[in-house]
Amino acid sequence: MSSPSELADRKGSKGAYRLVVAEDAYLVREGIRSALEREGEEVEVLEYCPDLGSLLRAVEAAPPDVVITDIRMPPTLTDEGIQAAATLREDHPEIGVVVISQYVSPHYALKLFEHGSAGRAYLLKEHIGHRIQLMEAIREVAAGGSVVDPKVVDVLVEARMRAKNSRLSRLSTREREVLAGVATGASNAAIADSLFLTKRAVEKNINSLFAKLDLTDDKTTSRRVRAALLFLADSDLGAGADL
Amino acid sequence: MNSSAVSREPAFDQLDGDIELRDPAFGGGVRNADVVVIAVALAAASAAAAIVATGGVTSDPTTVATVLVANIATLAVGGLIWRRGRPASSFGNLLLAEGVLVFVSSLSGSANSGAHLIGMLGGWAAGLGATWLLLSFPGSRLGGLTWIVMGLAVATFLVGELPLMLLSPKVVGVSGIANCAGACPANAALVVDAPNAAAAFRHVEGVLQAAWGLSLLFYLSAAFAWASHARRRLLLPVFATSVPFVVAFAINAVAFDLIGAPPSSTARAIFAGARILFPLGFIAGLLFARAYAGEALAFMASKLVGRPSVATVEQLVRSVLDDPQARLVFWLPRSEQFVDRHGTPVALDPAYERRRWRAFGHGDVRVLAVVHDVVLGEDPELVTAVGAASLLALDNRRLEHDLLDSVDALRASQRRLVGAASAERRKIERDLHDGVQQKLVALRIRLELARDVAGESNGLADRLAELAADFDDALDELRAAAHGIYPPLLADEGLEAALREVVRRWHAPLDAELEDVGRLPEDRETAIYYCCLEALQNVAKHAGDDAVASLRLWRDPKAVRFSVVDNGVGFLPHPDGKGAGLTNMADRIGAVGGTLAVRSKPGEGTKILGRVTIEASDRAGDVVPV
Repeated sequence: MSSPSELADRKGSKGAYRLVVAEDAYLVREGIRSALEREGEEVEVLEYCPDLGSLLRAVEAAPPDVVITDIRMPPTLTDEGIQAAATLREDHPEIGVVVISQYVSPHYALKLFEHGSAGRAYLLKEHIGHRIQLMEAIREVAAGGSVVDPKVVDVLVEARMRAKNSRLSRLSTREREVLAGVATGASNAAIADSLFLTKRAVEKNINSLFAKLDLTDDKTTSRRVRAALLFLADSDLGAGADL
Repeated sequence: MNSSAVSREPAFDQLDGDIELRDPAFGGGVRNADVVVIAVALAAASAAAAIVATGGVTSDPTTVATVLVANIATLAVGGLIWRRGRPASSFGNLLLAEGVLVFVSSLSGSANSGAHLIGMLGGWAAGLGATWLLLSFPGSRLGGLTWIVMGLAVATFLVGELPLMLLSPKVVGVSGIANCAGACPANAALVVDAPNAAAAFRHVEGVLQAAWGLSLLFYLSAAFAWASHARRRLLLPVFATSVPFVVAFAINAVAFDLIGAPPSSTARAIFAGARILFPLGFIAGLLFARAYAGEALAFMASKLVGRPSVATVEQLVRSVLDDPQARLVFWLPRSEQFVDRHGTPVALDPAYERRRWRAFGHGDVRVLAVVHDVVLGEDPELVTAVGAASLLALDNRRLEHDLLDSVDALRASQRRLVGAASAERRKIERDLHDGVQQKLVALRIRLELARDVAGESNGLADRLAELAADFDDALDELRAAAHGIYPPLLADEGLEAALREVVRRWHAPLDAELEDVGRLPEDRETAIYYCCLEALQNVAKHAGDDAVASLRLWRDPKAVRFSVVDNGVGFLPHPDGKGAGLTNMADRIGAVGGTLAVRSKPGEGTKILGRVTIEASDRAGDVVPV
């Protein structure tokens, strides 16, 4: 599979990302509208939908490149966004899905990745206004990559760091920062940029931390994200197990 | 004193009625009326002795005076004992009346012919009275065959003695011991001196008197033979003391009236002894009955200690009453009827199958009734003892039931309370999430858009950046608060997901083994979730820095179970319960009908084990709607 950055420019027929947006809260929907309008030609919103049913119908009517969906919508107000992602994984595997949510719990991000992490992003709603984060998520999922809101990753890393005997304590500060970057879905280049490192240094750190954590490095960022996230979320439970 | 009719539950430390230090219903205590009766009886006995001793008429004044004094004293004391022991019975009054007649009979010892005649008549009346006492005992009225005996007694006087009084110069007493020595006073009732007619009537009198005595003897024997065990207890002393007297009486009639032989001094002595003995039987009978009732009460009390069933109590009642058909019936205040222990209504009318019933309760409030053989009505002490013991035993059971009921009610209300509270918290969390949090999020998006518009590196952009940071803090705080109010994962995804999230974000080492237990009713999920959370927090707070906790959640066919175990410092569980935190946990679990066990020892860590039963209706899919 090609790296997401190489595919980042793959766009819809008119050269713009074609989107379907599903959000039941009017204020948030208007916020998304303003944020996307700001991008001008780069995005084209085919339809705004208020619930799961209308979202799936809109996708069938005119398949978009990317779906941005609220996690919680009518009819059940639980996890319709994740259901939509699962349905689309079957019916339209080429469509990227950005699930927007107010939940910081990694549970929902992991649940989103249960059916595969490729082309899936989990973004906190409050970061929709952030043009880099939003557009990056759209580009990544359109290219088959994965994104996890850094705040969700931070919560996990923070909890792990507070826990004594955590395997995270074996990592250097730098390695932990790189791991967090990996868990959000950032590319090596993006991690290098944000940490003011060379791409080479990032790669070195990744190799060493994956070895320390007994994780298999995977060049595909979407799988790498999932592995890192799973590690942060679940694999550190046995505290005394590997001291 | 606090004893209003309405209040059935007086304060614990107040008397519930008038119980004097020496309650007259129990044991000693002498009433003024008793003193008067005793004084009168003593005076009467002294007077009788004086009359007999000074009259010079009686053949054996010492014996006669002794008999009279003993009889008057015994009858007076016996009357008082009966009046106190069985206030409802008038037998005590009959004994007192008999005492008066015996005193009157002492006038026959007077040399004055009028007084002598009155004494003779008094003696006859006392004889008839004694017959009445024996026939009616332990009641006060005659019925059925006893009228035949009483009729013979009255006939003896009317057909035998009365004509004799009118036709003979010498009047003969009925007693057999009070005959005059020779210097009898003139017969004040004499109409015509007709010796032949008198002799004939004397024979008539003798025959009738013998029939009277024998029929009485026959009646007593038959009554004793047919009596129940309970009644025999009462009859035995009376029978034992009256039979010698009645036998002596009948022999006296035959010997004196028919054969004409004056009674020998031995016969008179025996007869005197029997007469002294005779009224003692009435006292002994009552004392025996009371003693037996006391014994029965003690016996029942000893058997009722171990929380017997209603059937057991009823069986005890039958055994103690010696009445295989005895029953306990229970009053239902709402439908105002008695039911048996199976709940079948029982009609209790006075003619209920030759049975009688007696209700027991608290004050005016009926609780139960003892249905017993009609003859046991003559043994009220026993029925009272049995009824009171049954009442106590069943009261205990009822108290226990009430206690269990109130525990159930408490648990139900606790459950409602916990349920209402968690439903309310869940609603608040939803309101926050969909309301203010959503609005803040939308504002946060617009704020970010405004930052874009403001461009970079100018005063406005800096202010907006500060604002955005503050905004994020506010959102975080709000999110944490909402999560603390009710974790949305618990509502959306259930126990396993919510606990897994706790484990993920736990700030200390934590082993976890979480099974997917499916969805449970909300109250159970909430109870288990918060219980685990509290137990984990306890580990963090109290178990020590090096303690490692492990959390387990699993399910067996009947229950969802969880445990929080640590290897920390442990503690000595408080003997009568738990710390406030443990009590909270136990309350939460108890409210959904579960159990919580806490095991700890200093130095050996702490184990918290919980179990919440899952009913068939609690299977996944029956999730309580929000």
